[in-house]
Amino acid sequence: MAVAENITMPDLEAAERAEARRRKIVSTAVPLGTAAALILLWQLGVKAFGVPTYVAPAPSDVAVAFVEKFDILLMNFWPTLMESVAGFAVGNIVAILIAVAFVHSRHVTMAFFPIAVFINTIPILAIAPILVLIFGPGITAKIVIAALICFFPTLVNMVRGLQAISPQALELSRILSASKSEVFWKMRLPASLPFLFSALKISATTSVIGAIVGEWVGADLGLGALIIDATFNFNSPLLYATVFMSSGLSVLMFALVTLAEKLIIRW
Amino acid sequence: MMEAKNSLQGQKVGAPDKALAASLTDATVRFGTFTAIDGLNLDIEEGAFYTILGPSGCGKSTMLRLVSDLIPAAAGDVSIFGKTTEQARLAREFAFVFQDATLLPWRSALKNVELPLEIGAKRGVDVPLGSRTPRELLELVGLKGREDALPHELSGGMRQRVAIARALVCQPKLLLMDEPFGALDEMTRDHLNLQLLDIWRETGTTILFVTHSIAEAVFLGQKVIMMRAHPGRLREVVDIDLPEPRTIKQRDQQEFTAYCGYLRDLLETC
Repeated sequence: MAVAENITMPDLEAAERAEARRRKIVSTAVPLGTAAALILLWQLGVKAFGVPTYVAPAPSDVAVAFVEKFDILLMNFWPTLMESVAGFAVGNIVAILIAVAFVHSRHVTMAFFPIAVFINTIPILAIAPILVLIFGPGITAKIVIAALICFFPTLVNMVRGLQAISPQALELSRILSASKSEVFWKMRLPASLPFLFSALKISATTSVIGAIVGEWVGADLGLGALIIDATFNFNSPLLYATVFMSSGLSVLMFALVTLAEKLIIRW
Repeated sequence: MMEAKNSLQGQKVGAPDKALAASLTDATVRFGTFTAIDGLNLDIEEGAFYTILGPSGCGKSTMLRLVSDLIPAAAGDVSIFGKTTEQARLAREFAFVFQDATLLPWRSALKNVELPLEIGAKRGVDVPLGSRTPRELLELVGLKGREDALPHELSGGMRQRVAIARALVCQPKLLLMDEPFGALDEMTRDHLNLQLLDIWRETGTTILFVTHSIAEAVFLGQKVIMMRAHPGRLREVVDIDLPEPRTIKQRDQQEFTAYCGYLRDLLETC
């Protein structure tokens, strides 16, 4: 019996691995193929109906613009990246600290939670000009806008995460006579990490939106400024290329957070 | 054979000459207007294995929580090795094993066992070190080689064994167990019952073990504490006089089934 198992086990495992590999290839190939087909359809459609380039450029025009204007795109990419990353960091750190205060004091929650909800209900497009007036046309206003858009999801998730510890785990901490800070560092904080990361994945992409909205309101540099510029000049291929660059930035941020999550959360 | 030690309300049970692990005098627990335990008098002899049986709502778990200082007594007195429950808790005189293993999912098996040693260490609390290291305790519960496994990589029975190793790490003199094997399948349960008896013999610790299973109560216990419900009161403490060490085979013997039958009758009149 044991011998038979030893012989058949590797075969089964190999077959299972091959099956898993095949499924993985299929699951990558299908969406890639679909995207390629849609781009081809777009190319053919634009050419067949003779749509003017300024209305809708063909993917080939966008590709040409992407290559030819790559230095301009890159020059505008860095400020937006910086604003997004800084806004992401500031917004999330503030949200985490406030969440900790909320969990520790019901009074703080009572006083500030309605305000946090109110701020969240203001459309970011409405508040962006106000912030540009306050902080001026520099990089600060963009960072604040990006931070603001990250703030609320992280606050809500972090509060939930810090409270996600089971009643029995709290009884255990009581029996071990653990102090409040020990319960926080050894139980509440690690327990909150999966919740924190689901919020960080949201804000990784929204922080880019915040930075671009900030640049729309007033900036000469950055992907947002380039979008406005290209639109007003009817330079649609450049506009589309900028949009892809922005989405690439979001994907990059999202991928980095996902990678960090995989490395940190192993349970 | 069924000379069970009868206990009347207000009258202490247990031989007075033996050292006491815990002593409850007229202990009462109330949740608001609901009386969960009403005037409980009970002496727990040191080194003995007690199992606690009773209908649901009889305050079995509440009694463990009272002894472990998780809930206060509304009236009466509870002492553990002559100390108050709070003093005993601070001195780590007792440990608790919950129905759910309650492991921290981000910590490996070994790190979970080490948790009690870390708590208080930085505040200068004198954490009692057991005679066994966390590694040795994992070996004792049969988890050698799984030290680095995360809880989700372990089976339910293994997780509960990690919880038992964690409970033993400060070498408690009193081990409180609240239906620790209630969620496990019968085979795993039998195996862990035998292992727990080995640990009990080897460590000499006093055990208070709450269970729903009459067979488990008789198999593990030297004494079965039978409680009654509404409100929770002591019904009777039954001495289980079966040969030691206990074996699974004993469960088919007439003596064993007679105890079970006696307890079942008691339970029905609770």
